[in-house]
Amino acid sequence: MKFDLSDDQALLRDSTRDFLHNESPLETSRQIMEHDARGYDAAVWMRLAEMGYLSLLTPTAAGGQGLGAVELAVVLEEMGRVCFPGPYLDVVLAAHLLAGADANHPLVGAITNGSSLVTIARQDTAFSGASAPAVAITHAHARGVKHFVPFAEHADALLVVVDDGVVFCRSPFAVTPMPTFDPAQRFCKVTFDHPATPAATLEGLRLTDQLAAIGASAMLLGIMSRALDVTLGYVQTRHTFKRPIGAFQALQHRLADMLLKVESTRSAVYRAAWCFDAHDPDAHLATAVAKAYAGDASRLVCGEAIQMHGGIGFTWELDLHFLFKRAKTLEQHYGSTEEQLERALAATAY
Amino acid sequence: MDLRLTDQHQKFRDALRTWLRTNLERPWREELRDPRATEDSLMEVRRAWQRKLYRAGYVGMDWPVDWGGRGASQVENAIFEEESARADAPVILNYLGISLLGPALIHHGSEAQRRRFLPPMLAADEIWCQGFSEPGAGSDLASLRTSAILDGDHFVLNGQKIWTTFGPWADWIFVLCRTDSNDRYGGISFLLCKLDTPGVTVRPLRQMTGESEFGEVFFEDAHVPRENLVGQIGEGWRIAMTVLAYERGTVSLAAAVKYERDLACLAAACRDLGRTGSAVREKLARLLVENEVLRANGIRMLANLADGKVPGPESSIEKIFWSELDKRFRETAIDVLGPGGQLQRHAADARTDVDWAREFLWARAGTIYSGSSEIQRNVIAKRVLRLPQV
Repeated sequence: MKFDLSDDQALLRDSTRDFLHNESPLETSRQIMEHDARGYDAAVWMRLAEMGYLSLLTPTAAGGQGLGAVELAVVLEEMGRVCFPGPYLDVVLAAHLLAGADANHPLVGAITNGSSLVTIARQDTAFSGASAPAVAITHAHARGVKHFVPFAEHADALLVVVDDGVVFCRSPFAVTPMPTFDPAQRFCKVTFDHPATPAATLEGLRLTDQLAAIGASAMLLGIMSRALDVTLGYVQTRHTFKRPIGAFQALQHRLADMLLKVESTRSAVYRAAWCFDAHDPDAHLATAVAKAYAGDASRLVCGEAIQMHGGIGFTWELDLHFLFKRAKTLEQHYGSTEEQLERALAATAY
Repeated sequence: MDLRLTDQHQKFRDALRTWLRTNLERPWREELRDPRATEDSLMEVRRAWQRKLYRAGYVGMDWPVDWGGRGASQVENAIFEEESARADAPVILNYLGISLLGPALIHHGSEAQRRRFLPPMLAADEIWCQGFSEPGAGSDLASLRTSAILDGDHFVLNGQKIWTTFGPWADWIFVLCRTDSNDRYGGISFLLCKLDTPGVTVRPLRQMTGESEFGEVFFEDAHVPRENLVGQIGEGWRIAMTVLAYERGTVSLAAAVKYERDLACLAAACRDLGRTGSAVREKLARLLVENEVLRANGIRMLANLADGKVPGPESSIEKIFWSELDKRFRETAIDVLGPGGQLQRHAADARTDVDWAREFLWARAGTIYSGSSEIQRNVIAKRVLRLPQV
C-alpha cells in the first residue's frame, strides 16, 4: 500500500508544475482572464497539445497517453494552483467521451493535437425563466438550446447530450455569451439547428461524468491549497498590535481548520481517482464524495483566505477573488454538490 | 499510488474476520441492552473478551514476540481495529495499558519491569489506568504538581489525578509526577503505583451519561518502590510524549466503519418514521460524505504506515476530524429522530440498533479527551503550519 504518487506520477506533477510556473503563473493567468477575449492563451494551449496533455486520457492505441484518473487529478491540481484559465478539463473530457465510443474517431486526433476545440454541451435549463426548448433529435438533426456550454464561441464541434445519448455537431454555432463572475471559464448559450451524428452512449457519458467530478475536485484541491499558502504567507508578514497576525489564536485555529479541509480533500480526491482507475466497487461513491466535499471545502477555505486578508482581500488587485470565483464555478458544474449528494445516496441503500 | 491491502495484510484480515465470526458471541450493542447488564458486568465482558483475543494472539500485536506480541506492524493494528468495529466487538478492558503503557515499558522500561508487568497486562489480570491530568493541569499537562520525593528505596507520592479513565476498575496506575519543582519538563518522572497502596484513594466521578467510567485518584504519602520508576528520574515527560504518540494512532478506519453502520441504522429509522423528505435526505447525504472523507483519511494514513511513514502531527487532523464529525453526526441523528431519539436504551420503545441517546451525550467527550480540539489546532498551527508563537 502506498498513498504517495508513483515515480512517474510525481514526475508528471513536477513537470506540470514547472511548465505552468514558467508559462502561466497566477499573474499570467490573471492577464488572460482579464484581457483575453478567447479566454485562454492559444500558444500555451498548443504547447499542452504537443506535450501530450490533451491526449492524457485517450488510449495509447489511438495515439494517446492512456493515463488515468490519478494522472488527471495530478495535472488539474497543478492547474488549480495557478487558476489556469481555459477549456482544459472540458476538452480532455470531450476526447475521453468520444474515444470511449470510438477510439479511432477522426475527431479524437484533431482534439488531442490541438487543431480542433471540442467541448460538451449538457445544460438544458435557462436561468431567466424564459423557456427554451431542450435539444431534440429528429432524423439526425439537432434542434434546441443548450446553456452554459464551455468555450462554445471558439468550438469547432460540440458533443451534445440528448435524451438517449450524445451526438456531435460541427460549427458554426449561433452563440450568445453567458458571462459569469468567473473569467476563467467562458460559457455560451448555443442554439442548435444542425445535422447531428451519434457520438457516444449515456453509459459512456456516465464514465466521463465520473472523470469530470474527479478532475473538477482535483482543480478545487489546487485552488484551495493555493489560497491557504497565500494566506499563510500573508499572516506572517502582516503586523497588527505589534505582532504578525498569524500569532493570534483566533486566526491560528481557523488556519488549522483550513489545512484540515485541504488535506481531507486531498485524501478524498486521490482515493476517488485511484478507485476509478482500479475499477474499485467504491469508485461511484468515492467520486461523488470527493466532488461534494471539495466544493464545500474550497468555498470555505477561499472565503477564509479573503477574510484573513481584510480589506485587501476584497480588492480586485489581489488574486484571491479569482480563486474564490473559480472555486464557485467548479462547485456548481461537473456535477453540482446537489447532484453528487444524490449520487452518494444512490450508491448506498439509504 | 496503490490503496489495496497487500496479500499478506489481506490474509491477516480474512483470518481475523473468520475468527471474529466464530468467537464473538454477542455484538457489543446487545451486551449493552441486556437488562441484567451493569457497569461491573460489562467490564467483565470486556475482560473476558480481551482474554479470548490474547489467547488467539490479537492483543499487543505490534509488540515484539519476546514480550508477548506478534511483532506485527501498526498496519495490522489498524486492520484489527477496523474489523473489530465492523463486528461490533467490545473494546478490550486494558486498552490504556496495552496501547500506552506497554509501548512505554518496551521502549523505556527495565528488563525486570517488562517481565513483571507485561504478561498480566496482556492477560487482563492487571488493569491499568492513566494518571496524567490533574485538577490544575489538563491541556497544560507539564504544569502538573503531584509530587514524588525519593526517600531511600521508595518515592513518597502526594497529590491528585483526575479524569482517570478506568480508575474505578483498575489495579494499577501509571503516574506522571514532579520530582523537581524548578524544572518544568525535566522535573517530571514516570512512576507505576498499585492502587491498593496505603495512602491511595480512588473516587468514581459520575459522567454526564450517568456512567462512572472515570474517576479521581488521591495520593497522601503513598509509598512507591523505587524499582517502579520507568526510565530515569526526570525522563517522565519524554516517555509520556512517546506514549501519547501511540495514543494518536489511526482510528479513522474503525470510526468510519462504526459510523457507516450507525448511519445505515439512522436511515432505516428515518424510513420507519416516515421522515424521508428532502431536508432529512440532505442531512443523511452530508453525513455520508463526511464519513467517507473520514475513511479516505484513514486509508491514506494506513497506506502511509504500510509505506513505512511514521504518523506525525497530522494525526491531530485525524483527531479533530473524527471527534468533531461524531458530534455533528449524533446531533443530526437526535435531530431527525425527534423525541424518540432521547429514549434511554432500556426504555420499551427505544430503538434496539443504536443507543442514540447515549451516543449523543458521549460525543461531547471526544473533542475534550486525549488532547482537546483546541490543543490539536494549536499543534497544527505550531508544528505543521509553523505559525509565529506569542
